[in-house]
Amino acid sequence: MALNLTRRKFLQTASLAAASAAMSGCFARQANASTPFVKKPFTAPGSFAGTKTAVGGVCEMCFWRCQLVGKVRDGKLVKLEGNPKSIDNGQSICARGNAGVKLLYDPDRLKFPMKNVGKRGAPEWKRISWTEALDECATKLKAVVDKHGPQGIAIFPHGSSAKYPMTFFENVVGTPNNSEASFFQCRGIRDTAYVATLGVAPGENVDMANAKAIFLLGGHFGENVHVSHLKRYLKGLENGAKLIVVDPRFSASVSKADIWVKIKPGTDTAFLLAIMNYLIKEGKYDKKYVAEHGKGFDEFSKGIAHATLKWAAKTCDVPEKQIKQVADMLAANAPNVSIHPGRHVSWHGNDFQRERALACLTGLLGAIGVKGGFVAGKGPKTGKAGWPKPMAEHAEKFALHKMAKVYKFSPPGTPTDLIRNAAVTGKPYAIKGFVAWGQNPIQTVPDQALTIKMLEQMDFVMVCDVMPTDITMYADILLPESSYLERYDHIQKGTQWNFADPHQQFISARMPLVSPTAADHERKESVWIMNELAKRMGYGEHIKVKSAEDMINTMLKDANLTIEQLVKEDGIHLQPGVDPYGKALDVEFHSAELAEAGYPAIPTYVPVPEPPKGFARLVYGRAPMHTFNRTQNNTWLHNEMPINPVWLNDECAKKMGLKDGDTIELVNQDGVKSRTSSVVKVTPGIRKDTVYTAHGYGTMNKAMTVGVGAGIDDQSLITKVAVDPETGAHGMRNNFVKFIKNGKVLSIPA
Amino acid sequence: MAEIYRFLAQSMRYPTSDWMQADYFSILDAFLAELGWDDEAQALRQSISDKTDWLEPIQVEHTRLFVNAIPKVVAPPYGSVYLSDDGMLYGPSAEKAKAFYREQGFELVGESDIPDHINFELEFLALLAEEGKTQEEELFLQKHFRPWFPSFRARVLAEVRHPYYRVLVNLIDFFIREEL
Repeated sequence: MALNLTRRKFLQTASLAAASAAMSGCFARQANASTPFVKKPFTAPGSFAGTKTAVGGVCEMCFWRCQLVGKVRDGKLVKLEGNPKSIDNGQSICARGNAGVKLLYDPDRLKFPMKNVGKRGAPEWKRISWTEALDECATKLKAVVDKHGPQGIAIFPHGSSAKYPMTFFENVVGTPNNSEASFFQCRGIRDTAYVATLGVAPGENVDMANAKAIFLLGGHFGENVHVSHLKRYLKGLENGAKLIVVDPRFSASVSKADIWVKIKPGTDTAFLLAIMNYLIKEGKYDKKYVAEHGKGFDEFSKGIAHATLKWAAKTCDVPEKQIKQVADMLAANAPNVSIHPGRHVSWHGNDFQRERALACLTGLLGAIGVKGGFVAGKGPKTGKAGWPKPMAEHAEKFALHKMAKVYKFSPPGTPTDLIRNAAVTGKPYAIKGFVAWGQNPIQTVPDQALTIKMLEQMDFVMVCDVMPTDITMYADILLPESSYLERYDHIQKGTQWNFADPHQQFISARMPLVSPTAADHERKESVWIMNELAKRMGYGEHIKVKSAEDMINTMLKDANLTIEQLVKEDGIHLQPGVDPYGKALDVEFHSAELAEAGYPAIPTYVPVPEPPKGFARLVYGRAPMHTFNRTQNNTWLHNEMPINPVWLNDECAKKMGLKDGDTIELVNQDGVKSRTSSVVKVTPGIRKDTVYTAHGYGTMNKAMTVGVGAGIDDQSLITKVAVDPETGAHGMRNNFVKFIKNGKVLSIPA
Repeated sequence: MAEIYRFLAQSMRYPTSDWMQADYFSILDAFLAELGWDDEAQALRQSISDKTDWLEPIQVEHTRLFVNAIPKVVAPPYGSVYLSDDGMLYGPSAEKAKAFYREQGFELVGESDIPDHINFELEFLALLAEEGKTQEEELFLQKHFRPWFPSFRARVLAEVRHPYYRVLVNLIDFFIREEL
């Protein structure tokens, strides 16, 4: 019967009628069995019918947050563009910004709350309801708090939507164990070093557009792309600014440089000290500025007197003449020089000192508050909204670095290592609840094995994200968040990018470009999720805002704005600005505060480990079409740069028998091999003791169907972690590699 | 036929105890008996009657096949994943399906709903069948459903671990297959 039965014949059988009747009865009690369709008479659409411009987008493909508009056709986002009204990025957005469309419609995105009924790291997912998910998260997290105290919870947040949950756990629950990758694996050192020296966190606030000289230490603009930042840089070059780039590699910025300092990695502070010592000895510094605003200048100049050009030339492996040339070029253009503070600065574990040195050099040249110098735009004021701080004191008391009296210049939160070690050892207290919100610690934090050990000993792991990144594999409960194109969550404000233009301020807020709801998923925004959790955990009384939309409106109130008004103004409110120039800052050349805390009071060069014989130092950086893990699964971006070639010096390659494009793997000093392979890029544009690749490739999570295993995950090779003594942040460039080709390990000749 | 499409659409929904009960399985069983798919019926019966907790394995399998899984979602239930070059949701084929709905006087309720989700397409076929639009039903199958369903089905069959979804994709295939 089965063989010859056709649909037609089947439909003719008598039993069908009975079955059909039973079917209707069976589903009648099911509310969601109702049809997803409504009847509507057909009207023929014209061409481009229904294509509208949605305003109020703020990009989140990286942290720079350009202002967007979305072209929406019939409910579908078809294109993203810069908001023409923007005085920041203007109409321009980068490759990643454009590719946001592909994030929105990525079939791998998280859709429903899920429970792991398998094991951490080898999950089996079961879709569950929000009620079940939230109840379970609240019960488990509360149980940790009850048993181990609020400090028993750790949160690893990232991105603007994670701020609300982060401040909840810190201030309302009362855990200090909050570790933002943006601080501890990126820019925290820069911020605290500048605060200790100039009293302010620097941002990227150098007026490159109006500079006569620009000094970059490791900055590879063009490979890292942040639109208005690049505009400033390129405008400066267009106006004839001299460009000095210090980098072991011929980066995109080096290709535009007047001077390329091909420095030995890790020695930058020695280089900076020698420049400053030379400028002081030669009297080529801004004596007036230093006299008026310098503190401890005599101790400073005495303290760095050892840093001769000759010493630095030897230490940094660069010609003495070149150091002098750099110093003279800076002096000749002072005070209109941009000494760039950098962004990702957690390199070698001696980074606080380097950042201090950069801040001192800025002060020495008087390059503060002047055209081309260190100047922050004066942006508009908006209000605050969020959680009160009933438990902030408790958090403070249990901060691991404060208990151990270490890392006294730590950025806000707790250094990652201390959290991980406490979790693994149970000392000084147990950490048994883990929350990751938008951060992927498997790839952001060095020593993956230890991170996994930390996760394995947790009583409960909750992860909230947009995509199934590596960390989601370790979740007990996994929560799906709306993407940045579907939610309210952040106020972006500032000034026009070029201070030479009429002064203006802007206020914009991230608004959804497309509806966050659809029948095939149940993603939610973070304020809703956090509030629901807070209520269930017994903290409901502290809730101040009902939703992300409510939060934004509350913040806008101080600027006499509403979301409605912003929409009317095409997503961006403009108002007259203020001249940012003229503000001087005191410079702590010698810091009594640092001395008291037991750290060097003046910037000090601390040597870093050398590559063992046959190895070269692994350094990493940015690619213009990727923001690390966040964009790995994006088809457009993947297509532009599917793998991350590993740069190797051409002379070394020749001796090793490697040709450009050869497939290779890497093995590090601890014998850890890369899980996957990449190709070698053979070039004279890199030092022999250094190899380089773009970070953020080779995810091990197969749920990232596009990015999985493509290229080499440099993070997996960063097994040795240097910890910056002042900040507790991770230095990640003290790892060394050899190449492997066809299973054979190849040493790198020095 | 409308009831059958609706039954199939319902069967592809996330399995929850409010609809997946004994009466549901008895209908499914009747279907299989009618078709003479005795082995399948047997396997399915076994998978649900052997255990007290028979529902969770189906839920886990649904999630793994259609929602999120390691190593990857086996078969995202959207047409354009199979029909567009880059395997994304809401590709051109999805827009065409939406246009077809409209031409027949139907609009999706949610403005951001992805038009070519398998459940929508099956529900739509039910609506056409209900209105007696046999030609349009065949046209929709030919232009919109059949072009991707076999690839979807192949992915499910290659990796499926629970007899329920093996039975289900074969059942859908039986009812939508072109008859020569």
